[in-house]
Amino acid sequence: MKFPEFITATSLDQGLEIKRERGTEARVIAGGTDLILKMRDKVLSPSVLIDLRRASLDGVTLSGEYLGLGASLSVSGVIENADIAQMFPALAAACKEFAGPPIRNRATLAGNIVNASPAADLVPPMIAYDADIVLRSSAGERILPLAEFFVGPGQSVIEPDEILTEIRLPLTSAATAATFIKLGQRRSMTISQVNLATRLSLDEQGKVSTARIVLGAVAPVPMRAVAAEAMLTGEELSEELLGAAARKAREEAMPISDFRASRAYRLQMTEVLVRRALARIAHQGAG
Amino acid sequence: MANIEIELEVNGRQEQVSVEPGKTLLHLLRENLGLTGAKDGCRSGDCGACVVIVDGRSVNSCMVLAPQAEGSSVMTVEGLAQGDELHPLQRAFAENWAFQCGFCTPGMLASCYALLEFNDNPTRDEIRAAIAGNFCRCTGYQAVVKAVEQAATELRVLKGGSRNA
Repeated sequence: MKFPEFITATSLDQGLEIKRERGTEARVIAGGTDLILKMRDKVLSPSVLIDLRRASLDGVTLSGEYLGLGASLSVSGVIENADIAQMFPALAAACKEFAGPPIRNRATLAGNIVNASPAADLVPPMIAYDADIVLRSSAGERILPLAEFFVGPGQSVIEPDEILTEIRLPLTSAATAATFIKLGQRRSMTISQVNLATRLSLDEQGKVSTARIVLGAVAPVPMRAVAAEAMLTGEELSEELLGAAARKAREEAMPISDFRASRAYRLQMTEVLVRRALARIAHQGAG
Repeated sequence: MANIEIELEVNGRQEQVSVEPGKTLLHLLRENLGLTGAKDGCRSGDCGACVVIVDGRSVNSCMVLAPQAEGSSVMTVEGLAQGDELHPLQRAFAENWAFQCGFCTPGMLASCYALLEFNDNPTRDEIRAAIAGNFCRCTGYQAVVKAVEQAATELRVLKGGSRNA
């Protein structure tokens, strides 16, 4: 097997320059826990690998409007960060259920996004928190809602010369009531059959001002159940309403049957788990 | 493609090896350095038989390309014992029958060692969480949990900072 050239970039600019010249021929390697498998299985055959671990992209920075998570931040790095745990607990919870410790120590948040798996565990909570992502190229940068990044399994809107450099979690969604639920065949080291994140904010009258229901592994891309969200918005929470929203989310889901779970099971579990997740945060007291 | 030179520290020794760029850290350890403790199991980061410690953290060495390990400090199961003197964690594994065929043991030891470096008094749940990426298919996990509890107690006494020992 012909193995790609391996370049340890000393700066992001160097990495961007290689991407400008080589486009899709060049892949960024972060943790490598997905990319190495895809190269071995010949799903991807890059001619250059760009390692950015010396480009200082693993920081967590608080700005006036968002908490910025660097693209090289590992899943363990998320779990160990006190700001993330306090402000965005549903993301921290998803990280704790992600694979097992040795994978969490290598795999990155950005890798989980760029890999564009429909079952990515860390994506639903980030979308639920209205995350934006920063895509840089040598020509500049663009900022995109994470929810608009995915096109299909393994496919996204990233351009051949772009590198995902940062994930931005808006402070407006910090410390609002949110939760993450993962269903798999085991508690650890398993790819989700269904995963989801929900988030609710209430106004002074106790009515829902923001509702997010984000489903994974039940569609070609991680998806917001927008009709179910709309049912909740502007309403007071009740058992009946949560049940109706969960049924609506089930109608919106479009899972396939595969060796992990059947379509029928995924649909049934979507309803059960959405209701459970909404009830859990309604009980916590939506923020 | 031409070999590349990799420098890294393994079990306290500075090493320089010449490898194909696609070689994994696992195979660098096993084939270039003769350290066959870390095992070649699933080659996909699922089984944990290849777990070693890189810069203080447990990682699947089958999921690290050799050039990614350039400049790293690696510790394998071979680095645990001091000469003939087993590390307390190794001794606790033996005394508690925490292995049967032994294939998963080097990876288990690496994960448990990394746990105890971060947390000298782990709960049973914390121990189970720490070995969630290490599959054992013969002995089961109870004896491993017992062994780690015993080793943690011993290590706290050795450090002299004992609170609950």
